[in-house]
This record gives sequence, C-alpha cells and structure tokens, in this order.
Amino acid sequence: MLDIRRISSSRWWHKKKIWIYFAIFLFLVFVRISKGSLYKDFFYFISKPFWPGQFQKEVILKTLNQESLIKLNLLKKDNIRLREILSLQKSSNNDNIVAAVISRKTGGWWRQILLNKGSKDGVEIGSTVTGPGGLLGIVSNTSLLTSSVTLLTAPESKLGVWVDRSQINGLLVGSGGNHPSLIMYSKDADIKVGDFVSSSPASSLLPPNIPIGIVISIDETLQSNKTAKISLLAKPHLIDWVQILKVNI
Amino acid sequence: MGANFESKYLMNKFLKKKLSIISFIFIPIIFLWHPNWLGFLGVQPYWPLFWLLPWSMINGSINGLVFGLFLGLILDSLTLDNNFSQIPGLIFCGFLFGRIKLHSDILVGHFRYGLICSFGSFLCGTIYLSQILFGNFSDSNSSMFIPGVKNILVEVFLTGLFAPFFCSQLLRMLKFSRRKLQ
Repeated sequence: MLDIRRISSSRWWHKKKIWIYFAIFLFLVFVRISKGSLYKDFFYFISKPFWPGQFQKEVILKTLNQESLIKLNLLKKDNIRLREILSLQKSSNNDNIVAAVISRKTGGWWRQILLNKGSKDGVEIGSTVTGPGGLLGIVSNTSLLTSSVTLLTAPESKLGVWVDRSQINGLLVGSGGNHPSLIMYSKDADIKVGDFVSSSPASSLLPPNIPIGIVISIDETLQSNKTAKISLLAKPHLIDWVQILKVNI
Repeated sequence: MGANFESKYLMNKFLKKKLSIISFIFIPIIFLWHPNWLGFLGVQPYWPLFWLLPWSMINGSINGLVFGLFLGLILDSLTLDNNFSQIPGLIFCGFLFGRIKLHSDILVGHFRYGLICSFGSFLCGTIYLSQILFGNFSDSNSSMFIPGVKNILVEVFLTGLFAPFFCSQLLRMLKFSRRKLQ
C-alpha cells in the first residue's frame, strides 16, 4: 500500500510546477495566435499618461483658441467700422433681450413660439429672435407681457437670405415642414449641398451674418428657378431661452 | 363654520353651473400649452373638437355652429397666420356634430366619439390645407403639400385616439351640469 502511494506521488503530472509551465505555454500560444492584442491593449492603458502628443495638443489648442479670439475681435471691430461707413444695420449685443419660451408649436399647422417678454420690456414687432445655433424667427405680435414669434418653418415666413460661398441672395420660404425652401430666382445660381446660409450682410431688416442653416438638397426640376431644402441650425423644439435683437431702423 | 360651509356650497354650485364655460376657457389654454408628451411627430390632437362634439350633441346644430365660430375666433387670435382661418372647419364640424344627436343617440357609442372626431379633424385639416395651398398658389406648392398631408394624418390619428377619453367625460359633465340647471 505504501509502495503504491510512493510510486503514484512520483508521477510527472502530479508536479505542480509542470502544470504552471503548461499554463504559461498555453497563454503564450494564445498571445501568439491573437498577435499580441492583449499586450497591446494593456500597454495602451499603462502608457496613456506618457503619450507625447497629449500635453502638446492641449497647448496648441489653447494657443489656437487665443489666436481665434484675437482675430474675431479684430474682425468685429473692422466690421463695425466698415458698416458705419456704409451706414448698414449694426449687430451690437447691447440691445438684446433675453426671454424664455413659454409656449411652443414647432410641429403641425402652426409654427410659432411664445416668449415671456412683451411690449413692456421693449420688444417690438419685426425684432429678430435668435437661439443657440442661429436665427429662429421674427416677432410677429406683441402683447404687454408676451411676444409671438413666427418661426422660419411657418408657411407665412418669407425672408431674404445670403448664400455665403457663392455670395448670392435668395428667398427663404417656410413650407410647414421642418426644412424651409430656399428659392433662387435664377436657373444658373451657384448653389451646392452643404452651402452655408446666413442673413444677408446688406439686409436692412435683419442684423447681418446671423447663421441660419445648411443646404441639404437641391431641386432643379423647375424651369424658371432653383429651390433648395435647408436644414436649420437652431432647433426651436429644444430651445428654452432665446435672445430678441431689437430693430434698429 | 356655517359661513364656511355656505361659501363651499355656493362655490360648488357655481362650478357645476359654469362647467361648460370653464371647460370652454380651457381649450385655448391647452391649445397654447401644446403638451409635447401628448403629441406625435410634433403634431397635437385637434383640441377644440373634444369640446365641440359633446356641446353640439347636447345643444344642437345651431348652437354647435355658433360655438364653432366662437372657438374659431379665439383660436385664430392665438395663431399668427392672418391669411388662413380655422373658423370654416369648426363651424362645419359644430353643425355636423349637432346633427348626429338629432338622428340617433344610440349610434354614438363610447368609442364612436373617436371615429367622429377623426372625421371632424380630417375635415378641418383639409379645409386648412386647401387655404394654405390657395394662399401660396404661385410659390412652391408641392413643398407645402407633403408636410400638410402628414399633419392631417397625424392629427386625425391622435384626435381619434384621445376622443373617447375626453369626449365621454365632457359629455357626462355637461349633461350633469345641464340637469342640475334644469
């Protein structure tokens, strides 16, 4: 009995060390088959703090931001000076009124929002309303405490706009859907999908250069003119606070 | 204690008496409130029909026609479209809903309110869309037609869906207040 026990304990597969080596071997086979993916992923995490570009990238971005801000200020000053020379509409931030949206109809037949600032706060009919993203609409009606804004998507909305790339004017007409139509009264008008549309720099009704939207499709089937669908940048169904820009005519 | 009880009694009496007026005032409020969680694809059910159907069924065609006009005037004042009006659709619906009562009361079951309101919403939507299309005849007509049809379809669906809840409750309340008055 004792002999049997002694013989069996001397078998190679009873040695723990061999099994450990076998496990390491299997692991290495796996590493080989997976082409070291585990190693690489592990290295990704441990080397992350020492990546060369990370700190450099932050510094460069910060510098670029500063440069852009300085350029923007210089251009703003230049723009104001030139507009004064040409006696065009000014786009100052001093006359803005901040208002909250208290009722909104952004789908269906009526596309309008109701704001909590009215004639008491100095809101006038024809004032431009902007939100995060750009132009939302025009104030069409005011009461003592509220003002109603016709959105750009409303069927009765018609605005003169400016295509930035080709520098041509067009008419933005609300269609009752989410994407208003841009009508170019020339068959040869240079307009492409992706073109940026803003308020006209020469407009006497709207403040200049307010972002409006991007061309998403063009319809060239009509004989006399070209129409394009515009995706608006400002989303009225999500915006809770807006800015009312006073009319300076 | 006695005065308090009396004032409560008077208040209850007033509320019961004026229930139709109070519910009428609530229509423009809901129309302005425009609760998005009750809508679908940004479109809401056509709220005025929920009130107009029970009112016309109880008070008849002429009364329905008059209150259709009143509702149209109020709702038109809340919307910014000066060229298009909701009055024709609501007048027509008010008149039509009053006729339903005259023909047979049994026909109007609990869930048939949905069907009637859907039909009314379809009528109002079609009349409104035809106004928009005529108003913008020279412009891009086709671009306004497709969103308009979508609006009508969604509105018809939602109005039909909610009508059994609202109309049956309002009908019960209006009948109750009328009985108390008599």
